[in-house]
Formats: sequence, structure tokens, C-alpha cells
Amino acid sequence: MNVSASAPAGAPTANTAPAAGSAHSSAAASGTDAARQRLALAQAALLSALVAGTPVPQGFDPARVRLQTRALADKRASVTAKVAPELPRILGDGFRPSFIRYAQVNPSAGGARRDALSFARARLRAAESSGDPAGDLTRQQRCELTAWVRERTGPAPRPRGRLRRLAAAARARASVLG
Amino acid sequence: MEHLGMGIGWRSEIDTALDRLPGIDWVEVVAENICPGHIPDSLRRLLDRGVTVVPHGVSLGIGGAERPAPQRLAALAERVEALGAPLVTEHIAFVRAGGEMTGSPLLEAGHLLPVPRTRDSLEVLAENIRIAQDCLPVPLALENIAALVSWPDNEYSEGEFLAELVERTGVRLLIDVANLHTNHVNRGEDPAAALDALPVEAIAYVHVAGGVMRDGVWHDTHAHPVTEPVLDVLGQLCSKAVPPGVLLERDDNFPPPAELAAELDTIRRVLTRTPQAA
Repeated sequence: MNVSASAPAGAPTANTAPAAGSAHSSAAASGTDAARQRLALAQAALLSALVAGTPVPQGFDPARVRLQTRALADKRASVTAKVAPELPRILGDGFRPSFIRYAQVNPSAGGARRDALSFARARLRAAESSGDPAGDLTRQQRCELTAWVRERTGPAPRPRGRLRRLAAAARARASVLG
Repeated sequence: MEHLGMGIGWRSEIDTALDRLPGIDWVEVVAENICPGHIPDSLRRLLDRGVTVVPHGVSLGIGGAERPAPQRLAALAERVEALGAPLVTEHIAFVRAGGEMTGSPLLEAGHLLPVPRTRDSLEVLAENIRIAQDCLPVPLALENIAALVSWPDNEYSEGEFLAELVERTGVRLLIDVANLHTNHVNRGEDPAAALDALPVEAIAYVHVAGGVMRDGVWHDTHAHPVTEPVLDVLGQLCSKAVPPGVLLERDDNFPPPAELAAELDTIRRVLTRTPQAA
């Protein structure tokens, strides 16, 4: 699984107050702007370590960061299982561990449904690459997961009949909105 | 402070059970799960019965570095109006970071993360709270969160930080005693010290929830029964001042209604055994 590709390359990894010196001169300019800038960098560095696998910012306990990372991934797995219950059904007991491995280095794709789809694609890629510990799907699981992804990304076979075509178009619109 | 009484978190999984649970004065709904034009029937029934419904937001990220987004505040205000709520609550937390201010990708945490308890953070949070208060039609109360990770450069204790926020903005507090217990076990922060430092008169209501200990870490799951240590923290709080409201949060692994009722009774007993109880 190519996990590093989706980690943000430009994510800040500096310590918790990297802008303290440079922001000083502008502090008087406008109220909270300097404090906001320092806080923004500190929070982005921590969050990036937690959800994108970038290095733990200086001063944080790495074991605690790992625990928090795991807790966030666990929460995301639960949300994914709720919006896409087919995934835990197809993957069985393997769903949660494989989702958590995925989530720890792949930030949320924006929205729970897109997240579920990104995970399913990554899971299939992992299953295709030999020697990957996550590549242990059965033939049936691969088929079902591939079908699940295809149903949500198209192109679907053109349904025959006007009513069926309308229903398919409505479904497609609903999935875009969702 | 408005009297709320005994409440429970409204969840679609237990909505019909709530119709039959005795002694429910009010409920809290996750603001993001409610669509103002489509209030679920079971919630509508509670509103019709005169049960107070308080919207509880989880995605504002008022502790973030950016000013709170006007559309998120407008969404909260809309829910307040739709529910006729006397107050609205959120969390002292950040939930996203990155983006324009840092020149890095915008990242979503998907959950609540702690803010550093520093002067910078206090200054930003106080301004964000004032912005929110200006946009909301009812008082705002903010909740202390539980976290596993600690910032290395905290300049205030949790209680001092909450006291400062109240002093600077007049914001009300939603004190989660399970979160105080969680931070005690996981981060060594004494709940008694937090309760001593925070202004109890600013408390709008209190959250109580169950959790579980795994590998020396307390997990605030909202999916297990409420335990004695959490009730002890509630008792400590009540010995200072009985809060205007107490709410049981249960999010998963829902027990039968009788078990929920028994848990609510246990919480009521803690409220009434303290000398100050009404």
C-alpha cells in the first residue's frame, strides 16, 4: 500500500511554537493575529502527526501521540462502519484492523462517504500488491469489494428501460450529494 | 442559571425508549445530527410534551486558530431556533488545522482535540467565544474535553483556564465529570483541583458518562455503565453547588430502558445525597 503518497508533503513538523520569533514584530499590528499564527502552526503540527503520520512535534510524549492517533483512527473506523456497513460485512474481522492501519497515515478524504471509498480502494490496492500484510483478502472479498467500489464510482452498465434509467440517474445524483 | 433538571442524550437508537423513561426533564441532541426542517417525530413528541431540547455541537472547533466560521455559527443558531432551546453548547477543542494560515493541507481530526492551555490560546479562544456569542441568540456553554495527548507547554491548569475563559467572556460551562475522571487517569490531572479552580456558578449543566479501563488507559466510551469514580467526581462537584442540570450521555451499546432508568436513578441519588441538594 502506497501510504506515503497521501500524507501532506507540506505539513508542518516543527516544534510547538515555530513562529514565536517572526510573529513578534506583527503582534501589535492587529489584536490576536500573531497569537493565531503561532497557534495555527502548533495545532497543524500536532494534527498532522496524529492523522498524517508526520513526525511528533517537539515536547510531546510520542507514546501519548500514538494512543491519540489510535483513538482518532478507531473513531473514524466506527463512523465509516456506520455510513458504509457493507465494508465491515465484506471484510469481517479484518475491517477494523485494516481501516486503522489505513487511517493512521491517510487523513480523512473529506466526508465519511468519501473516506469509506478511499479506504476501499486502498484496501484493494493492498490486496493486489504481493507481500503486503494487508493483502490477505479472499477471492470473494476482492470481488465484493471491487463491486462495491464500482457501484459508487461508475461507469455502471446502462440500465434498460426509461424508468430504470431515471432511477439510476437519481441514485447517481444522491451519491454525489451524499 | 436556568434550571434544567435530569436529562439524557437523545439518540435515534433509543428515541422510542425516551417516551417511556420516567423523570426525564430535558434532552440534548447532537446539533450536527439535526436538520432544522426535519425534526424527527420522536424529538417533536418530546418538544410537544414541553421537554427542553438543547443542541450540542461537535464540529465548530472554537479552540482552533481560525475565527469560527459564520456558516457554522449560523447553523447552530438555526438549530437553537428550531428547537426553542434556552442555550447551546459546544466544546473547548480544535477539530481541524492547517490550510491557509499554515500553508499546509487542511486536516480534519474527526474528533475533539485539546487546545494548549497557554496565553496565546486563551487570547484566541476568548475572541472566538465573543464572536460566537454575538452570532448566537441564546447563551453559549462550553465543555471541558477528555484527551489522551497533553500539550508540553501548558501555562494554566484546566480549572484556571476555564476560570479565565469565564472571566474574560462570561461564557457558561458544561462540566463533563467523566472527562475530568478520564484526564485524571490518563494525564494525572486531579479533578478536585479543577473543581476548586473553576467558577461553579458559571456551570450550566453537567455531563455524566460511562467508560472502561483498558491497558491502564481510561476510555470514555459512552458505551459502558457509569462507574463509581465518575459518580464520585459528580459528588465532589455537587458538594460545592448543585448544578442546574445533569445529563447522562450514552452513545452506543444501548442497554434496555430499565437499565437506563436505573442509571438515571443512581445519578439522582448522588445529587440528593449532598448537603446542598434542593
